[in-house]
Amino acid sequence: MRLLDEKREILYVIRTMDVLMSSGVGLEAAIHTIGTGGYGIISSDFSTVMEKLRSGKSRGLDKEIKALMNKSESEGYRRLLNTMYGNLTQNTDLLETLRKQGKRMEEDRNEEVKKYIEDLSGVPETLLSIGMIGPIILAIVGLVPQLLGDGAEAIMGTIDQGLINSVVNGGLIFTLIGMMLIGLKAHTKDPGL
Amino acid sequence: MIFEFLESFNDQMLLLILIVLGVAFSAGGIPPIIERNRRRNIENQLPSLLESLSDAVGAGRGIQEAMLEQGRNTPGVLGKLLTETLESSHSSSFDAALSAFASKTRSSQVQRVTVLIGTAIEQDAPLQGILSDLSMDYERLNDLMNKRESELQGRGILIILFVCIGLPVLIAFIVGLFAPASKGYQIDTFNQTFALFFAASSAIASLVSGRMLGRMKDFLWWLPFWMAVSMGLYLGAVKMIGG
Repeated sequence: MRLLDEKREILYVIRTMDVLMSSGVGLEAAIHTIGTGGYGIISSDFSTVMEKLRSGKSRGLDKEIKALMNKSESEGYRRLLNTMYGNLTQNTDLLETLRKQGKRMEEDRNEEVKKYIEDLSGVPETLLSIGMIGPIILAIVGLVPQLLGDGAEAIMGTIDQGLINSVVNGGLIFTLIGMMLIGLKAHTKDPGL
Repeated sequence: MIFEFLESFNDQMLLLILIVLGVAFSAGGIPPIIERNRRRNIENQLPSLLESLSDAVGAGRGIQEAMLEQGRNTPGVLGKLLTETLESSHSSSFDAALSAFASKTRSSQVQRVTVLIGTAIEQDAPLQGILSDLSMDYERLNDLMNKRESELQGRGILIILFVCIGLPVLIAFIVGLFAPASKGYQIDTFNQTFALFFAASSAIASLVSGRMLGRMKDFLWWLPFWMAVSMGLYLGAVKMIGG
């Protein structure tokens, strides 16, 4: 969940920081503005950092940013935090890097959306294949004792109807799990728009 | 006729419950669709409004004056809301009017833009450039969102049609044809098991379809409906074909 939230919000955070800092706002004030809300998990992270700084429990903004880097899950967020850390410790040009990062992240997002659409192109057919083959085979298995009648016992010996029911039920549950796993792709690969 | 139809499923308690829930929840599923259409209309108009504002500010107009003018010239909900809010905000500050406008649109895009405009005004930042950048950003974002919607909507519908309608009818056809109840086949337990399977697979298909389009919560409202449809189709088709 955190990864998706970070991916969804990071570009907006970069754009906001760009606007704020290019109009003369300092890094700490920009972090405070973003921490006031509107940017999901990143707002909550920044607000925690500001809270710690205000209460005097923190060892400094750079240390807090470093701690956030360990907590972050998406590449873009980690890169932003790294840029902020660089600015705090080595006085690097934050604005220029933010603009470059924003541009690069936007290109990445476009690529991810294209890939997401391509990846999901086969999902309807795969779902139908699994959803169809499983029940067809299991329907035949479930009906075999009745379809073959006495001939079934001659071929396969005594048929335990309870066992056949268990096989059918187990197979259907297995089919449902398979369908869920295919559907999971739609969630895990979400580009976070 | 409806009662006769329901009577034939008297022994299927779950199906009857799902039919009732499906009808009731479908009514709850319509408002999110209407709200989403409204919000997307607003969001699709946002880049052109920002571009016009950037031009107006570049021509030397004040942001408030430019917003009022563009609000009057922009057709649709966005222009109407902007004009209404700015005209009714004589006794409050421009900041408060912007916030009121953002909350009336109920769009996170508009809310983010208004916060940024507010901050830029507060910091005396170059508004023309910021508005122009925002316009391009949101145009690209909306293009992506529209692309995702248009490309995946067909596939989402296909999943629902295949799994919730096609699959139960196909299996019912096979079962009804090869093991008809009219010829003495004992398939009550079998039908019960498969009806439950189709209900569950329809729920999964509906959720996957919703997740693909990025609105799974909205699709939750339609879950009982599709479960009832697939169960009903299977049991109805088996009865119709197999007697």
